[in-house]
Amino acid sequence: MFAYYFRLALKSLRRNPMLSGLMIGAIAVGVGVCITTLTVYRLMSGNPMAARNDVLYSVTLDSWDSNKPFADDHPELPPPELTYRDAQALYASDIPDRKVMMRKAAFVVEAPPKSGVAPFLVTGRTTTKDFFGMFDVPFKYGGGWDQAADNGSQTVVVLSKKTNDKAFGGADSVGQTVRLDGHDFKVIGVLDDWAPTPKFYDLNNGNFDEIEELFVPYGIGEQYEMQSAGNTNCWRDQQIDNFQDFLNSDCVWIQFWVELRGSEKAAAFQQFIDNYVREQKALGRFERPLNNHLRHPDEWLRVNEAVQDDNRVLVGLSFMFLAVCLLNMIGLLLAKFLGAAPLVGLRRALGASKAAIFRQHLMEVGVIGFAGGLLGIALAALGLWGVRNLYQNYDELTRLDFTMLLTAIGIAVLSGLLAGFYPTWRVCRVQPAAYLKTQ
Amino acid sequence: MELRPILSAMLRNKTGAILVGLQIALTLAVVANSVAIITTRVEKIGRPPGIDSDNLIFVQSYGFGPNYVQRSTIDDDLRLLRSLPGVISAAPISQIPLSQGGSATNLGPEQTREKVTINTNHFSVDEHGVEALGVKLVEGRNFTQSEIQYTPDPNSSDFVPFVILNRDAAKAIFGTEHAVGKTVYDLSHSAVVIGIMENMLGSWVGWDKLTQVMLTPRIEAGPLARYVVRAEPGQRDALIAEIEQKLANSNPNRAITYVKSHTEIKKRSYRADSRMVAFLSVLIVLMVSVTALGIVGLASFHVNVRRKQIGTRRAVGARRIDIIRYFMLENWLLTTGGVVAGSILAFAFGQWLSSAYSLPRLPPLYVGGGVLVLWVLGQLAAFLPARRAAAIPPAIATRTV
Repeated sequence: MFAYYFRLALKSLRRNPMLSGLMIGAIAVGVGVCITTLTVYRLMSGNPMAARNDVLYSVTLDSWDSNKPFADDHPELPPPELTYRDAQALYASDIPDRKVMMRKAAFVVEAPPKSGVAPFLVTGRTTTKDFFGMFDVPFKYGGGWDQAADNGSQTVVVLSKKTNDKAFGGADSVGQTVRLDGHDFKVIGVLDDWAPTPKFYDLNNGNFDEIEELFVPYGIGEQYEMQSAGNTNCWRDQQIDNFQDFLNSDCVWIQFWVELRGSEKAAAFQQFIDNYVREQKALGRFERPLNNHLRHPDEWLRVNEAVQDDNRVLVGLSFMFLAVCLLNMIGLLLAKFLGAAPLVGLRRALGASKAAIFRQHLMEVGVIGFAGGLLGIALAALGLWGVRNLYQNYDELTRLDFTMLLTAIGIAVLSGLLAGFYPTWRVCRVQPAAYLKTQ
Repeated sequence: MELRPILSAMLRNKTGAILVGLQIALTLAVVANSVAIITTRVEKIGRPPGIDSDNLIFVQSYGFGPNYVQRSTIDDDLRLLRSLPGVISAAPISQIPLSQGGSATNLGPEQTREKVTINTNHFSVDEHGVEALGVKLVEGRNFTQSEIQYTPDPNSSDFVPFVILNRDAAKAIFGTEHAVGKTVYDLSHSAVVIGIMENMLGSWVGWDKLTQVMLTPRIEAGPLARYVVRAEPGQRDALIAEIEQKLANSNPNRAITYVKSHTEIKKRSYRADSRMVAFLSVLIVLMVSVTALGIVGLASFHVNVRRKQIGTRRAVGARRIDIIRYFMLENWLLTTGGVVAGSILAFAFGQWLSSAYSLPRLPPLYVGGGVLVLWVLGQLAAFLPARRAAAIPPAIATRTV
């Protein structure tokens, strides 16, 4: 029966190719547009740390000016970063299972002379050792460093895949030496592809920036008095004459994350940071009300508004467009089905049941939906290709994956059936007698 | 005159009419709001940057190793850049306008925490900065060579004795008062305003304080150095290649990290807005096409089922023009119903957008424009089927189906 209805559906569609094409085309562009915006939205609103969301926390303290909040448009939020000295103090706590303090710094990389690669500037990250473990960072070769290196006493470096490709042609460079800012560093690890989207651990310079190009122990930053290459915000009228003054200042520029397994530990660490801030208040710092937060990655991304409003607006508009496409299809289907009503009347008179008529027409609608869905996926791929061109180096961001393909077919068939239901129901109510008379 | 029969025919097929009306209504709502968003973005992208943007090149150099000396590197680089034919002027600059990276300082007319609140974009340049950027001084004077500060420690928060403000910054700090000769303060320093320049835009394209800019006479400490180079019209692209090549090997203790036109830098900063414009434009075109095709499809269909009826009308004396007029009028009624509903929907949708996403409110003009476009579009879409209907011969009335 299925095959018979399928043949009937194709026959009916071929009878009126313009109209069929229009209906399939309408569903296809509707689905294509929706899938394009949804894919971008989903990637931008994703949580790259979903698997570890329950145990990871960003740490923020409100160390800002008593006269005004850090952000005028979000007075409830503390600064997203810590001062150097506060980060040092929190890092001394042994409550967290793992913890990381870190910041960005620029490095000039000199590849081995024989490589012929000219010195190039990269953005690096100085971080304590747990960065790689806490955030599930994949290694291609080697690994990270241990606690002894955190203070900067060992000049070791972990390269991103991109940097290793550029400086060592992608070979296993563990054990090799690179010169960074004129100092020799030993390569101890090379990362595999890693593109956390959004770049949750440091949202300060662009939510969708690529990861840093190399990673060195936190203490290297002090060792070589490296300036921050990320966001630095200051408010207090402090005279700063040298690097030590800067480290002691109330400028915020350090990102801080902890891993706390279990709610007791989370409560204990919250207690710890609140107590720390109270002590500091007694010393005349932290003039604002107590406003310290431990936030899971999902909440962190939300309060920092990682997803731009534009993307939500686009998704909304896309679905309104899909609605127009469906209205269009309902109108056309209705016209078509009712136009063929005399034929339906004849079939009913010859003994076809209402149910059979219903199934037959629903099959036709399903075929239209499915064809529209397939074509829609092709259009979405085209749309995403366009988005990629508008958004350089966002390749990772805008790829159609299996879930989106299923979603596309799902939206298409569902909306096809939804649109087809009313016309199908109408045509089933045809009274055979009315169409058997000559006009 | 023909309204009554058309209306009663429409009432007999309410569903079809409602469907088309709804489609037109939704189309109007989406198109009017999209055009409003596009317009604000296009205006944002098109704001005059206040500098000679089309002819500017920015160069970034980064020193490394024990042999690198910032000051002499900058002096050598500037000498080389200024000697190139086709270069009008070149200057060191701490940040790049409209690049999404920069420095800002709170300033005020008095040194109190309550008064020092005017957030100002700030660019350090030397005495060539004004000419190299292509901004116009309107009052006071430029920096002189001896006024250019240099502090070798990059961490130093030292300030400068003199500054140049642009009109917007001067107005924000001093109101309508004459600013030249007055003193501006941050929380720990002060400087005398020696000049006022025409407006130029600052660093972050999405920032509401973008228009407040201050120039300071200072060469920044290393290892980062940036230059702005102003080319003679038409020379820019050739100069980019030449600068890249000449600077690449001039000093082994630094890397030239980029030589870019300001056009390219700006384009990158505005890409989120460009993306929105591109996407919404495509959406509008698709939406209008789908709606138009829908109207054509439905009208053609109506013509087909009414062939006999049309033939009969023709046989009893209706002219071709009467048939065309019938279909056009029917379509016009449908469209009108749609745009009335659509106008309400458009304003409701615009209201929601502006409250939920703090977008500007929908100007009524856009809805009016949308109504006109849809009227014309509807008539165009109906014309083809209507003409086909008019071509139906009267003889058809005499045949049975």
